[in-house]
Amino acid sequence: MSAAVGNILEVRDLQTQFNTLDGVVRAVDGVSFDLARGETLGIVGESGCGKSVTALSILRLIPPETGRIAAGSIKFEGEELTTLGEEAMKRLRGHRISMIFQEPMTSLNPVLTVGTQIAENVVRHMGVPWRAARERSFEMLDLVRIADARRRLDEYPHQLSGGMRQRVMIAMALSCDPQVLIADEPTTALDVTIQAQILQLMLELKEKTGTAIVLITHDLGVVAETTERVVVMYAGRKVEEAPVEALFEEPLHPYTRGLMRAIPRLDIEADAAGTRPRLQEIPGLVPRLTQPIPGCAFAPRCGFATGRCAVEPPPLVDVGSGHTVACWEIDRVRASAL
Amino acid sequence: MTEPPVLEVEGLVKHFPIHGGLLQRRIGAVKAVDGVSFTIARGETLGLVGESGCGKSTIGKTVLKLVEPTAGRIVLAGEDISSLKPGAMWAHRRRIQTIFQDPYSSMNPRLPSGTIVGEPLENFGLSRGRETDDRVARLFERVGLRPDAMRKYAHEFSGGQRQRLGIAKALSVNPDVIVADEPVSALDVSVQAQVLNLLIDLQEEFRLAYLFISHDLAVMRHISHRIAVMYLGRIVELTDKRSLFMRPLHPYTEALLSAATAPDPKRRRQRKRIVQGDVPSPANPPPGCHFHTRCPYAIAECKVIAPPLIEVAEGHHVACLRRPVGGDPGPLSAS
Repeated sequence: MSAAVGNILEVRDLQTQFNTLDGVVRAVDGVSFDLARGETLGIVGESGCGKSVTALSILRLIPPETGRIAAGSIKFEGEELTTLGEEAMKRLRGHRISMIFQEPMTSLNPVLTVGTQIAENVVRHMGVPWRAARERSFEMLDLVRIADARRRLDEYPHQLSGGMRQRVMIAMALSCDPQVLIADEPTTALDVTIQAQILQLMLELKEKTGTAIVLITHDLGVVAETTERVVVMYAGRKVEEAPVEALFEEPLHPYTRGLMRAIPRLDIEADAAGTRPRLQEIPGLVPRLTQPIPGCAFAPRCGFATGRCAVEPPPLVDVGSGHTVACWEIDRVRASAL
Repeated sequence: MTEPPVLEVEGLVKHFPIHGGLLQRRIGAVKAVDGVSFTIARGETLGLVGESGCGKSTIGKTVLKLVEPTAGRIVLAGEDISSLKPGAMWAHRRRIQTIFQDPYSSMNPRLPSGTIVGEPLENFGLSRGRETDDRVARLFERVGLRPDAMRKYAHEFSGGQRQRLGIAKALSVNPDVIVADEPVSALDVSVQAQVLNLLIDLQEEFRLAYLFISHDLAVMRHISHRIAVMYLGRIVELTDKRSLFMRPLHPYTEALLSAATAPDPKRRRQRKRIVQGDVPSPANPPPGCHFHTRCPYAIAECKVIAPPLIEVAEGHHVACLRRPVGGDPGPLSAS
């Protein structure tokens, strides 16, 4: 399994910015991470933390009228993507790097049948005849366990349920055997029982195909159940990265800890009286990204913050076993109860 | 309980007609709510949980009389409001207020937020002019907004602050019951915690009754006292939250709990079976028990008999043929 060794994707100091009426928004502000072959990496954070913009940057889908990758490097199989020409990028997208988004209806063409849409992608990237591509479409629909796949080939997206549409998106994304699949909130719009089906399907297919997955979500439950390693983002920066067990066992960044205490949990037993324990709030609001943030972006909301946190950005420190965290007060955080 | 419930709903039915054909005749009905009964006491939260199309939001709208019930009784603070015409209903609206998922869409973008929150007070003749301003300022403070924010417009607030505005507005007229339809679903978790805490504090302070509608089981468990699980227009299980999570009796409740994700990587290996298939269309639900098409425990009778919601243990109601009164509450065996 020598092919399984090494990173398929390396992101270094990525900075993506947008021009707005309020000034330049630093949506992604110096983010670095690696994706190993066949690995599932989660990127988690709240609205506006830059997780989706990171995904769009990798795919080079930042609208050029308003935004740009201002600095940094994105290497896919050693090839630099930030400077790759648009034609070469088009050959890559949907072929070697694929994506699925939250709302499949907006990514599917409403006037083409499902079979045609999958086959189009196969013809375009694999250069096979139409007939073979149609057969591939059928195989893919069958693979994502759409019942009666042969008949569904000739149906239009509106004839399918939300869960089935997301299955079609997955079938399309995997139709050309991508090395990397980027899934941006793939189950957020789905009901819980359907979400469970889709997550299970994605993991099973990953085992089968060896595709590495970048799973972007705001949902810590989804992250815990599906990923191997997690990057936590806040205000455009990576604040913590760890193997999934370590992150949930001992979250080290005060923001990660705050998030975990803020969620109501199903797996923690209520006391006998059934009283409702108070959820821990994270006070304050996310900072505006139009102003440069000199220190740690979380400092104004952080209970551990000192004078240094407001002025000097904390470096990412490796605390062992691939667990890195950007916090000046890590020793005090560690010593405090979770 | 000596005090009568503040809200009583009995046999509530809401059908939406389906029109079709050349002449747009009525060709059927979506049975959005199909015979639902529950009560809520003062100071209590009843959670309504279920997936898209189960009818939970329609119940909320019907109880608010924003849509007219097809059949059934709604008794608010002792008065039957089910057949009141809009004019007669007006006097009762003060008693039952609502909080929406997206408060922004219910706020006039051209009015300052203080006016938006104060409008119900003047509408119901509860205060005027300066007095309204004073009361609104106190409401702002109570929900955690600065009173000087009264001059700001809805778009100038963040999502969490807008939800606070929506809560202040609902609270302004001292209601007995608040219908909260997915009030925290659009919020980030850190803000969600703030709003949930506020709702709980206000409930304890004013003895508010909440009809809390959500698809999120963890949120539901946190805020509710009792929970009703809905599937395709019917309540399939209704009990206090402790027994619901410890001893779910209906196979659909079990499926929901098993499908919910938990922020604990160790739990993924314990995952039980995942229910397969999609929720059938509410325009054409399966006969008998609506869940039988996806139920691993279904028996032949489930396809024909619609099981009534019965109390099988104290306070624990379930609608399942395989869960008779006094039956073993343990796991069912697959059919």
